[in-house]
Amino acid sequence: MKQAKYGLVLYIFLMLPPVITFLESVMAIHMHMQMPLLLIVGMLLAPFFQKHFPQFFGTWNKNGVPGITLFMIIVIYWLMPRTMDEALTEPIVEVFKFISLPFLAGIPLRDSWSKLTGVSKNIIYVLLSMLFGLMAWLYIASPTQLCNNYLLIEQKALGWGFLLLAASIVIYFLSTIFIDESKYV
Amino acid sequence: MATITEGVMQKASVKDKVTKLLGVNSLDARLSLVFIGIAFIAFLLGGILGLLQGLNRAGLLELPAWLNYYQVLTAHGVLLVLVFSTTFTIGYFYAALSHTLGGLLPKVRKMGWVALGLMVIGVVFVATTIIRGNASVMYTFYPPMQASPWFYVGLVFLVIGIWVTAFGAFINVAHWRKNHRGEHLPLLAYFATGVFVLLFFGSFGVTAEVLYILPWAFGWTDTINVILTRTLFWSFGHTLVNIWYLTAVSTWYIAIPKLIGGKLFSDSLARLVVILLVILNITGGFHHQIIDPGITPQIKFMHVFMSLAIGFPSMMTAFAMFAVFERAGRKKGAKGLLGWFKVLPWGDVRFLAPMIAMISFIPAGAGGIAQTNFQLNQVVHNTMYIVGHFHLTLGVSVVMSFCGAVYWLVPHLTKRVLTPAMNKIGVAQTIIWTLGMTLMSGAMHWVGLQGSPRRTSYTTYGDNATALGWDPYLFLLAIGGTLLIIGCILMFYIVFNLMFLAPKGETEFPIAEPEEDALPTPKWTERWTMIIVLMLAVVAMAYVIPLVDMIFNAPPGSPPFRTW
Repeated sequence: MKQAKYGLVLYIFLMLPPVITFLESVMAIHMHMQMPLLLIVGMLLAPFFQKHFPQFFGTWNKNGVPGITLFMIIVIYWLMPRTMDEALTEPIVEVFKFISLPFLAGIPLRDSWSKLTGVSKNIIYVLLSMLFGLMAWLYIASPTQLCNNYLLIEQKALGWGFLLLAASIVIYFLSTIFIDESKYV
Repeated sequence: MATITEGVMQKASVKDKVTKLLGVNSLDARLSLVFIGIAFIAFLLGGILGLLQGLNRAGLLELPAWLNYYQVLTAHGVLLVLVFSTTFTIGYFYAALSHTLGGLLPKVRKMGWVALGLMVIGVVFVATTIIRGNASVMYTFYPPMQASPWFYVGLVFLVIGIWVTAFGAFINVAHWRKNHRGEHLPLLAYFATGVFVLLFFGSFGVTAEVLYILPWAFGWTDTINVILTRTLFWSFGHTLVNIWYLTAVSTWYIAIPKLIGGKLFSDSLARLVVILLVILNITGGFHHQIIDPGITPQIKFMHVFMSLAIGFPSMMTAFAMFAVFERAGRKKGAKGLLGWFKVLPWGDVRFLAPMIAMISFIPAGAGGIAQTNFQLNQVVHNTMYIVGHFHLTLGVSVVMSFCGAVYWLVPHLTKRVLTPAMNKIGVAQTIIWTLGMTLMSGAMHWVGLQGSPRRTSYTTYGDNATALGWDPYLFLLAIGGTLLIIGCILMFYIVFNLMFLAPKGETEFPIAEPEEDALPTPKWTERWTMIIVLMLAVVAMAYVIPLVDMIFNAPPGSPPFRTW
């Protein structure tokens, strides 16, 4: 339960107004720091919910596929430039961000990951790296501003961040294929 | 399953026993000795050049027209900062891997020799261009100063050599882990893995920089983005600094407790220090660029924070070391609050040298933390204070730790022993070195605070009163430098003696054992993939935004300059 406590502390910290202002002031930090941190909050809270509602997770997320699908939908939703703009201008969307990323993406991800088969995990790696590669291309190559709130240069920085992220996932994916961890533990 | 594991472990323990009986593998020892030999040749040459500079700065020596001050400065920096430190680190850790993992694999040994060859080729290129006076750009080789293109080609060879040694180490470690399932990597090999991970990933920045400079140096492109090259350089430069530090720290954690009759303080804590240094290291680069224009204060502030984060594992180390000293002292019957301090083996150079290194790291580290602050950095940035600072951190903390390791590492490798007479010379060397560095570095710090600039040959600025006021301190600097060259020659003699002249015998590779009641080390410390992913995430946080800004909002590039 220690993890859940840390998760809660991190969640409250991320909700502090000055922290929100700072994290949302730079595009790359908004998408690549605040959003993943919210996801991590969910992952840290997951054991608490798994312990108290085992029935729910057992019924609705038996093989992990519904959970990971929900995770992908939420992630894809927040990848769109439009949604980021809305989060900055519409308070209700901002609230949705703070609820959806931990509870609809972070918790399902942790609950699903151990239940998924090797092939499904590989599919997720490939999908995410392709998606991030696509986002990199979009943000780097776009000649115009995609978000009303962020400058073109910030958009390009975010694009390069996505490229690094995609490359990291590919490298990690390849390492899981070529390195048999069970030989080392 | 269990029987297989047991079988493997039995085989391993037989191998360990054989290694113990036969001593060091002579083929592995030869590789390490050549690396260490080269390191100390570079140390001697670099020291002599250092003396020339010190005497020049004090106004005591006019360098001949064919030997430019900046040429000497470049060679001094390259020999000591790049060649000495890197070759010693590689030699030391290859010996450590050979000892703790039951010998190097034949292909890894071969890779070691190939790497050595590549690095020698690199040094030949670099040295030739410096000697011919075509590369007086200092070891930081900041554009728009432009050296001969072959200088940068040499750097490429050096970096490739480093990569080959890193991959050799990774192969050896992976092989060991495959054959020792469920076991923790020995602590010293763990340090080695951390260092080689840093060497590999840390050199990405400088590789990108050199590949960007090359077409400009050959004249294929006209201009260069200066701020970008400086940033890429320091992403590597600061990592390199901490690689030496991590190497020094590994001797503190592992060898010293054994030498003073103590035990390892905590295996988990030492591993956590390695993990933290690996994750946090590459991102401190901008504190070398605090007064550079073109980087927003916010980004600089983030790097200040990230640099200060490196101080945390250092504090952990300081705590652990003093705990080890106190426990070892009390075991010997020391009484009172500080009685343990007196019973430490001060007459044993294997302890004295690294102890001086640790003590000097207290003011050196504090000075570093002070410099990381904006305002304080603005006061000292281009002054001799900085030179004083890194002569204290590298010249004492790192060099004394390396020298301290030489007294047991070289005889272990050559199957010789450190004689009491040689121990005495070692103690004398340590005292002379400490005295010399205290005078020199102290004078540099003080004269820097008074405004004396760094990277400048001697001048009185037309007999300006302020500049003349620096002279007494510069004299002290020269006196310190003269003592240091004595220390340098003594150290070279000691290494030579331990390699070729000392009486034959067995010297142990000192590896501290854990306390009887030590807690088991957590399993997650072995998850290197996770550590590397975290490191890359932190690097991305630190560098993506400013680098994109520097590239897309670049000022007009600079044509090359030859300032000498």
